[in-house]
Amino acid sequence: MLSVEGLSVSAESVRLVREVSFAIAPGERVGLIGESGSGKSLTALALMGLLPEGVTATGTARLREHDLLGVPEGRLKRLRGRDVSMVFQEPMTALNPLMRVGAQVAEVMTLHGEPAARARERAVELLDRVRLPRPGQIARAYPHQLSGGQRQRVMLAIALANEPDLLICDEPTTALDVTVQKQMLELIAEVAPALLFITHDLAVVASICERVLVMYGGRVVETGPIREVFARPRHRYTEGLLAASRLTPRGTRLPTIQGSVPPAGRFPDGCVFRNRCPQAGPACETEPTLTGDGHAFACWHPGA
Amino acid sequence: MPSHAGTPAPDAVPDADSGLAGSPETGPLIEARDVTRVYRRPRTSLTRPGEAVHALNGVSLTVRRGERFGIVGESGSGKSTLLRLLCALDQPTSGVIRFDGQDLAGRSERRLRFLRRSLQIVFQDPMSSLDPRMRVRDLVAEPLVALGEPVGGRVADLLDEVGLPASAADRYPHQFSGGQRQRIAIARALAPRPKVLVADEPVSALDVSVRGQILNLLADLVDELGLTLVFVSHDLSVVRHVCETVAVMNGGEIVETGPVDDVWAAPRHPYTRTLLEAVPTLEDVL
Amino acid sequence: MRLRVNAGLVAGAVLVGLVVLAALVSFVWTPHDPTLVDAAGKLRDPGDGYLLGADKFGRDTLSQLMVGARTTLYVGIVAVGIAALLGTPLGVIAGMTPYGWLSELVMRVNDLVFAFPALLLAVMLGAVYGAGTLTAMIAIGVATVPAFARVARAATLQVMVTDYILAARAAGRRGTAIAFRHVLPNIGSMLIVQASVSFAIAILAEAALSFLGFGTRPPTPSWGRMLQESQELLFSTPRLALWPGLAIALAVLGFNLLGDGLRDHLDPKLRRIRAER
Repeated sequence: MLSVEGLSVSAESVRLVREVSFAIAPGERVGLIGESGSGKSLTALALMGLLPEGVTATGTARLREHDLLGVPEGRLKRLRGRDVSMVFQEPMTALNPLMRVGAQVAEVMTLHGEPAARARERAVELLDRVRLPRPGQIARAYPHQLSGGQRQRVMLAIALANEPDLLICDEPTTALDVTVQKQMLELIAEVAPALLFITHDLAVVASICERVLVMYGGRVVETGPIREVFARPRHRYTEGLLAASRLTPRGTRLPTIQGSVPPAGRFPDGCVFRNRCPQAGPACETEPTLTGDGHAFACWHPGA
Repeated sequence: MPSHAGTPAPDAVPDADSGLAGSPETGPLIEARDVTRVYRRPRTSLTRPGEAVHALNGVSLTVRRGERFGIVGESGSGKSTLLRLLCALDQPTSGVIRFDGQDLAGRSERRLRFLRRSLQIVFQDPMSSLDPRMRVRDLVAEPLVALGEPVGGRVADLLDEVGLPASAADRYPHQFSGGQRQRIAIARALAPRPKVLVADEPVSALDVSVRGQILNLLADLVDELGLTLVFVSHDLSVVRHVCETVAVMNGGEIVETGPVDDVWAAPRHPYTRTLLEAVPTLEDVL
Repeated sequence: MRLRVNAGLVAGAVLVGLVVLAALVSFVWTPHDPTLVDAAGKLRDPGDGYLLGADKFGRDTLSQLMVGARTTLYVGIVAVGIAALLGTPLGVIAGMTPYGWLSELVMRVNDLVFAFPALLLAVMLGAVYGAGTLTAMIAIGVATVPAFARVARAATLQVMVTDYILAARAAGRRGTAIAFRHVLPNIGSMLIVQASVSFAIAILAEAALSFLGFGTRPPTPSWGRMLQESQELLFSTPRLALWPGLAIALAVLGFNLLGDGLRDHLDPKLRRIRAER
């Protein structure tokens, strides 16, 4: 349904995302994992046509029959919020503080041609669908009167308003408490038509996605069904990340990845991970390609 | 030994003035008894005062010398308020907080010097807790300067201790990555050779691949320097890795406290159970 | 990181630089003695050693403009200096103790002075102590104190809620050390911006006062007084009003552009927004 081929994102001369390719089938839930500076959020923004000025995307991305890249803003506007929609990390800044939440949900529908009265009715239905208690009352509330979790549910209602084909979530639960996060994740898994879920948290991805893309330094370094990738990581970065995510009991040393994520544009040539990789050798100066069927990885010295 | 909220265990120090009773190696170092903190919202009416918010409600805890004590809670649980009170950055509305047997209530900053020397804090976000206009050298030396102690070659030693090159001293915080900044914050906290290190969510703002480095570093330093550690986190699994004892907070109260392994394996309070079940784990998928 | 300086900042710096240059050069050289009255050369047309002509007393306009720049800068520096020296500490104290009585007092007095027109204050002071450059400078300076106090207070309030202030307190720093080590360096950029905008206002105020006869006394050249003296000849010899008018306008524009440019340049938040656009 969504197919992305050779997506690159650059700001002036710095390539921030390189040759990213993947596809999402209807109903599929795909996770995009990466640390800060991996290019995961830029990938999502490129698909939404929301890249900041001065940052450009090349390659192709198609959602059903619609091109998403290199299309004039006017056509993207019609797609955005109707065929593909997005939930952001910070629900407080994504909502208009001076507008009742019901009106904000209704607005995305009227923008895409729904009559106003019908949109208001449907807004309450949607608030109910994202399991907000007393949706009629919530619709009349202002964003600051809601809790963080409730606001994020409103964002989800807005994203779902026009029955999009694809939902993109960028760290939607990072700002939430763990108990609220759990409910939110269950809800997203239930209502998403097809999902691209972006996060730095491996455990969160594990609880919601079926397939996963691991990004580092602007590249997809490993991809595959989540069970396989997490049970048997092949790329040394994935391996290190998984090891670092498992918190062992007290008194033991945590496995770590040496060094830190370089700033954008300072990743090494060849394999982007080679300056932090314990296995790196001369071969790694050449860029490895993403190879493998289903479970693919880009590494010269893959783990067993 | 666990002592439950509000009901001090029999072996907890019964007498306020004999704070140093018991072996100096194992006696209580930080004690909070029935601590309450009430904030007032700004008034919205001319006739009525602002609404009172009970951020902390009758909290009691005991941190022993050399202990690694974890405080777990979600936003609004009161853990940040409690932390500020323990560090005397705020005053309780009622209740008593003692450090090394000395009451912290109502002391001027001048009379808190003993606390500032003995207790240092590492904050959550090293980007905002390090003054962007100061060089690393001055940031690390600041606690020493504030206490009127000689700085000498201590900055280089401290940077070395946290795994940073001496050349880092001449640079500004924004020139470092998140993990390196947290190392700077730790070096600064260690400067006056404190007895207690208070860490407020020290790894929450860091990338996963760096989190382990900082947790390992903290564990090493606590061991080498014989520090008492108070570790605040929203994540019980991080606390389990770092601490021996944990206090679980919810709604301004400590709802459960005890050895972390017991609380982890057999939580008794319903809230602790909810919290544990909500934490997503990698094992979910495998 | 590349250094991208905006055009306004450059233009502002060039204009301000010109005023400063003219003032500095006037100390060692002017085409003619700016105060020399020459009945024969009355209303002399431009040319023949008198680049911009001469006024009704035969004084060289260019020389007067150059020495006038000195007066202008002098007034600006002293007035802004008074405002910064009084306003900054008041604002910082008010910002560091937002609920204290001192803070309340400072801000209320501030409101009072703010509501009082600077020109009226200068006229009153002039009436009591005699008109002159010094009275004008003090009046303008005092009237600008609230502007500084407000900016300093707002900036201090922002700094005080940051973690690094909490960290400094936890490190054992006390009030004055926090003010000098953490607050002032972090609000400095906003104060510099305020200073250059206040400078522009001070120039304008001095010109207005001199025009009204409450500012710089003759024979010291001043742009405001040049305007006033040209008033009666506005229709016959408009160039006499044109040159000082232009000088005032360009100097004010220069300081305002400099202030705006510095604001964009020094504020990392604005800089980031610009980079993202």
